[in-house]
Order: sequence, then structure tokens, then C-alpha cells
Amino acid sequence: MNEKSEKRNFLQSFVLGARSGFNLSFTSMAPNVLFAFAMIQILNLTGLTDLIGIVFGPVMGIFGLPGISATVIIAGILSTGGGIGVAAGLATNGHLDSSDVAILLVGIMLFGSLVQYIGRVLGPAGIKSKHYPMLIGVNLLAAFLAMFVTQFLV
Amino acid sequence: MQDEKKIKTDTENSKIKKSNSISDTKQKVRIAGYISLVIAILFFSGIFKDVEGPLRALDFTNVLGSFGKLGTLSEGSGSIAGNFRGTGGAGVRDGWLFALTLAPAVMLALGVVKIVEDLDGLKAAQNLLSPLLRPCLGIPGFCGLALIASLQSTDAGSAMTRALYDKGFINDKEALIFTGFQFSAGALLTNYLSSGAGLFVFLEVPIFIPLVIIFLFKFLAGNIIRLYAMRIKEV
Repeated sequence: MNEKSEKRNFLQSFVLGARSGFNLSFTSMAPNVLFAFAMIQILNLTGLTDLIGIVFGPVMGIFGLPGISATVIIAGILSTGGGIGVAAGLATNGHLDSSDVAILLVGIMLFGSLVQYIGRVLGPAGIKSKHYPMLIGVNLLAAFLAMFVTQFLV
Repeated sequence: MQDEKKIKTDTENSKIKKSNSISDTKQKVRIAGYISLVIAILFFSGIFKDVEGPLRALDFTNVLGSFGKLGTLSEGSGSIAGNFRGTGGAGVRDGWLFALTLAPAVMLALGVVKIVEDLDGLKAAQNLLSPLLRPCLGIPGFCGLALIASLQSTDAGSAMTRALYDKGFINDKEALIFTGFQFSAGALLTNYLSSGAGLFVFLEVPIFIPLVIIFLFKFLAGNIIRLYAMRIKEV
């Protein structure tokens, strides 16, 4: 089927792509979003949202973000979908404005799923483990630099 | 014959007894097991549904939250929500409706990308990109195919990088640089158009602006690793 890719017409191509979009939406995004919304609801119900906002306020302020964004960073490093879900939940509740979302979107994409990609990118590519700290450090450095710069652009 | 049968059934019985006795004996359970069980019982019991303060987070219904309201109408006037997600929802129920609102965007985006791919659009991108790889990233131009693949899937990208190295098309330093590039913002195209789409509704800037910024810093990450690879003697 894949070898005959050039023989598909527009409709067949679109349907094939849209189907993978459907699968991604419901097998990957929806569970991630649900987990994120449950976490945010728990943070809101317990009142931890305010505490996290105060504690991480100064650090996140460097990137022009409110303190509560720290939850997005943590979730995003574990999983891209999780980070996006938490950010969406916080934006829905009015904790993040549109420029906060843009800054975080840049960050989540760059450091997204860092923990998973150690196993899925560095391992299969055959990189020696002595380089891992450098690669992880550079990944985070680039992501945080990008977030810092983005706050002046959006 | 009958005796044999009897022996057989006896052994079978003893087997069943044995397996029963296994399940009868107490299994070792971590302390976390008991704690989680107690919390789960409390969570589903509804005891904390109407309490004030943080403990209300320990209730299934409260975490489940509420669907948004579609609007209020009285005597022919009022307001109505913009879409089925409604307004003022919270928790997991709101998250579900939110996830539903994302599906069309993801399906449309990946559908269009597939058309472009089948029309050889990605191969065109590869051709345009290949001459830039040596100056911009310090890797040979024929890494273009693996690079385009890595924008769609991290697994495909890393597997192709490994193949390029094993076949001697790139040396170990180039493999390190290329992997560093893929490691930052892995599967960018797919992730941006699927997961990232979840945030597009909140953006006021055009969606390509964050994407351009991400690409620039992805190349920056690759180039920092390039400097690192140049300075070390052995990879």
C-alpha cells in the first residue's frame, strides 16, 4: 500500500491522513488531555494552583510567564501531549493568556517528551551514553532560550 | 482402565487443589497497594463531594467536573455558547469536550500533509533543504531524506540515522550532530499539527510564527552539538 503512494488520488490520500489524525486524536491526545484536565481540576480544588503560582512566580517570570506555567513545563518534559493538555486547561481557566500560550507552545515542542526521546531517539541512533548529559543539556538550553526570546516576539 | 482414569482425575484434582492453595496464601503486597486501595475507595465513595477546602479534590464527581453550559434563554432573550463545548465547564468532562473540538483540526491537518506527501511535496522540501545541510548543520546533503522523516516520526528518523552511519554515509561526529538536531523538537511536523493544534485556538499570532521560532532553535541545538562534536577527540 505504501509503495503505491503515488497512485493514490487526493481523496484517498486525504482520508488516509485524516484517519491517522483521528487515531492520534482519540488514542493519544484525548487521554493526555483528560489526564491534564483532571490534574488541573485537582490543583484547583485543593487550592494548590495559587501556591504553585507564588512559588514558581519568580523563575517563570524570566520567560514572561505566570508561576503556574511550571506545571506545563514539568508535564511537557514527560510528554508533549501532557504539556499541551495542561497548557490548554490553564488557558481555558484564564490562568494563561494568548502570549503565554505562544511562549509555552514553543517550549513544549522543543523539550517535548524529552524523557521518552532519550529512549526513542538517542538509543536507536546508537549514540554512546557518555554524550547523553550534553544532548539533554543542549535540548533544555535551546528550549528555554527559545521561550525567553519568544516573549519579546508575541 | 478405570483405575488409571481414577488416578488421572486424582492428579487433576490435586493440581486444582494446589492452584487453589496458591491463591489462598497471602500474596506479598507493597504498602503502596493498600494506600492506593484506601484512597480509591474514598475517591469513589462520594464522602468528600460536598466538603469545603482541598479535600473535595478527593472525589470522583468533583474531578469529573461539568460540561459547559450552552447558554441561557429567558423570554426570548439571552446568550448562547459558541460551540458544543459550552462555557464554564471544568474538569475531565470539559477536557473530553475540548479533546473532541481538537479532532477536526488534527484530521484536516494530517489529511492535507498526506496529500502533500503523496504529491512528492516532502521530496521537494528534501531537495530544497539538502544543499543547506552542510553549511547550516555540518552534515552531508543526503541526510535530507532522514531529516524530513525525522520531522514526521522520531523513530523513523533515528532508525535512518543509524542506517546512514552503519553504511558509512556519515561518520560518528556527523551522526552525533544529526541526532542532537533530531532530539530537540522531535517529530516536529506531526507533533505541531496534532498535539500543538490543541493550543492554536488560544493563539493571537499566526500559527507559523511559533513554528519558525521552533525551527530556528532546533537548528541552534544541532549547532551547539556540532561545536561540541568538533571539540571532542573521540566520539
